[in-house]
Amino acid sequence: MFSHIFVNRLKCIIRDKEMMFWTLLFPILLATLFNMAFSNLSSNEKFDIINIAVVDSDQYQNDIYFKNILSSISDSDEIANSDDMFKVNTTTKEQADDLLKNNKVSGYLTYDNGIKLVVKESGLNQTIIKSFLDDYIVTSSAVNTIISNNPNAMNEGLLTDLENRQNYLNDVPAGKANPDTTLNYFYTLIAMCCLYGGFMGMKEITAIQANLSAQGARINLVPTHKLKIFGYSLCAATAIQFLSILVVMAYLSFVLKIDFGKQTGLILLTCLVGCFTGVSFGTFIGAVIKKGEGIKTAVLISSTMALAFLSGMMMAEMKYIVMESAPIMAYLNPANLITDAFYSLYFFDSYNRFFLNIGLLIGFTIIFYSLTYITLRRQKYASI
Amino acid sequence: MQVFKVCFKVIQKNLPQMFIYLGIFLVLSIALTSLGGGSTNTDFTQTKIRIAFINNDKDSTLIDGFKEYLSKNTTIIDLPDNREKLQDALFFRQVDYIIRVPAGYTQSFLDGTNVQLEKTIIPGSMSAIYIDFLANQYFSTAKLYSNNIPNISDTELVESISKSLALTTKVEVNNFGSKAAETSSVTYYFAYFAYSLFAIVILGVTSFMMVFNDVDLKKRNLSSPIKASKMNLQMILGNLTFVLGVWLIMIIFGFILYGNGILNPNGLLMCLNSLILALVSLSVSFLVGLLIKSRGAQAAMANVLTLGLCFISGVFVPQFLLGKTVLTIASFTPTYWYIKANNAIASIVTFNSENILPIIYSMLIQLGFAIAILAVALVVTKQKRVSKGA
Repeated sequence: MFSHIFVNRLKCIIRDKEMMFWTLLFPILLATLFNMAFSNLSSNEKFDIINIAVVDSDQYQNDIYFKNILSSISDSDEIANSDDMFKVNTTTKEQADDLLKNNKVSGYLTYDNGIKLVVKESGLNQTIIKSFLDDYIVTSSAVNTIISNNPNAMNEGLLTDLENRQNYLNDVPAGKANPDTTLNYFYTLIAMCCLYGGFMGMKEITAIQANLSAQGARINLVPTHKLKIFGYSLCAATAIQFLSILVVMAYLSFVLKIDFGKQTGLILLTCLVGCFTGVSFGTFIGAVIKKGEGIKTAVLISSTMALAFLSGMMMAEMKYIVMESAPIMAYLNPANLITDAFYSLYFFDSYNRFFLNIGLLIGFTIIFYSLTYITLRRQKYASI
Repeated sequence: MQVFKVCFKVIQKNLPQMFIYLGIFLVLSIALTSLGGGSTNTDFTQTKIRIAFINNDKDSTLIDGFKEYLSKNTTIIDLPDNREKLQDALFFRQVDYIIRVPAGYTQSFLDGTNVQLEKTIIPGSMSAIYIDFLANQYFSTAKLYSNNIPNISDTELVESISKSLALTTKVEVNNFGSKAAETSSVTYYFAYFAYSLFAIVILGVTSFMMVFNDVDLKKRNLSSPIKASKMNLQMILGNLTFVLGVWLIMIIFGFILYGNGILNPNGLLMCLNSLILALVSLSVSFLVGLLIKSRGAQAAMANVLTLGLCFISGVFVPQFLLGKTVLTIASFTPTYWYIKANNAIASIVTFNSENILPIIYSMLIQLGFAIAILAVALVVTKQKRVSKGA
């Protein structure tokens, strides 16, 4: 009995081309687009050597102390180091203007009653150049103050102090992996995929309800318990859904090289639980909403999209905003729970939050199925 | 005008779906209006990185001075000292840098033992290098004073540091008559315009074409007393009216949202650019309408095509953030040239041939796409007529 229903429902689902498109092909296409569009997103915050120009003048050539510190963090000494911040062009005023106009340099330095910085627009590059110049002025003023207070300072080690600048900071890693925000987009994509499993759950409802399809009417006449038939069909739906998630996951991790962390077992567990929740979500919508199929599909798609939006599929910050301003919303959103499970596996060193997410997802699945059961049981039709 | 009228009956049936896309567009635009800022700054404004500052040491003048100094140069976000909360904040870029003063830091700093501050950063990022620089600057200056002025008191120390650190370099801004592109909300509005326009036009035009391309219906129509040429003319008119209508509605929304932001040479050029894109979307939809047969395929095509075009050509993610390969692929799509023209228009301050010509080229390329796709569509129609004998 089980194998008969299971195999035939498998066939029914696989042959539904439209549904297979939305649950399998569409996520793969969307993932490819995400990958193309977001692959360079983090380059915006990555540090690149800043190009600057210095207007050549006697003053600059004679300012040996400034030339020294500039060369220590740039290539102006013609030695390129890995910790250089600037790439320096020594030019005339006109050339410097030209470079700046064509965005070849972020700014240039010129002597005009002390050093002056000329930039085209405000930005982080420009701010960094300015803070470097500030540092030079600050240190010179500090040296002057010290000498006026303690004329012997020069002989008592001020020079060595100036030369040996220490590093006062020690790096402590944020989590067990690189904090790469773009990953969240792919995690929400898997979450959306899981919830799209709802299409399959909805299809099973249509197939078993006498008022929704001729097939449902026929099934209601057979002596087998309805719950059994429904349970077997759901097994088929969940199996297909899990398979298509595995294909999408394989595509993401092997073709697009998206980093999910190393706990393969727990990652697969998240996918499986996500599939259960997704399918149950669909049966719930299918059973509770008594309108036509078009409306049900619309409700499923729009609620999935809204939930995915709140977990950060369109802008990653959204997930943080929801977590901070309305934590309840974050815990009541299955898409966010799936996303968060992947995120905590990837980033956190403890598993508390991961298992909280998984637990809540299982809870949701039970609630969805119970509500579906209550709606479906003992329905009788006077006429269809 | 029967055919013309049918056009609008079909479109009327699909209005709810189109309103969804129009709704998405409006929500996005309104959200972005609040984000967009002024773009022609003549003053230099320092970029302020958001950081978290956690002090595990007891309060001391040295640390207070440090925090004061940081708050001048960065934005300090108040976060609880909870590992997960801090990790969340860093991952989602609520803060770019977390700095922690370990217990007993002040004492050991003054004693001269080298205890280090703890930083948590986004590896390899620009902000990390900048804040490192600021923090080291403060403590190096402090060290200079404390090492070289014997018996300096804490208060004197912090006073001298803050006096020194208050000095700043002169900065001059020279924007050479152009402004930073892609920052104004009108530019964003016209970028998202492409997404909604394509989605709505594809939905509308293909719905209508599917009705008329039904083989039986087509046979019936061909045997009617209306001339084929007249019927085609009415169809073209119907589709054109629809596309222009959609374009007009969206432009009117723009006027309502931004008013004078659009009523200037730049804004009007953007309107013209979007009108050309509307024509492109019409010819794309015409081709799609010929290729699909079912409602399901229509939804799939409309979604894949609009999302695909918009993701790779810079509608959702600005072009300067896209990789080189992606941009090369994108240059084979009309939306790429639309966005390119849109960005170029946004950055114009003085209108001269050097600025305008590239924009005209981009517009001509879009028109080229429209004509090429239409030509393909006409070949397909011809082929279909021959093969089916209808």
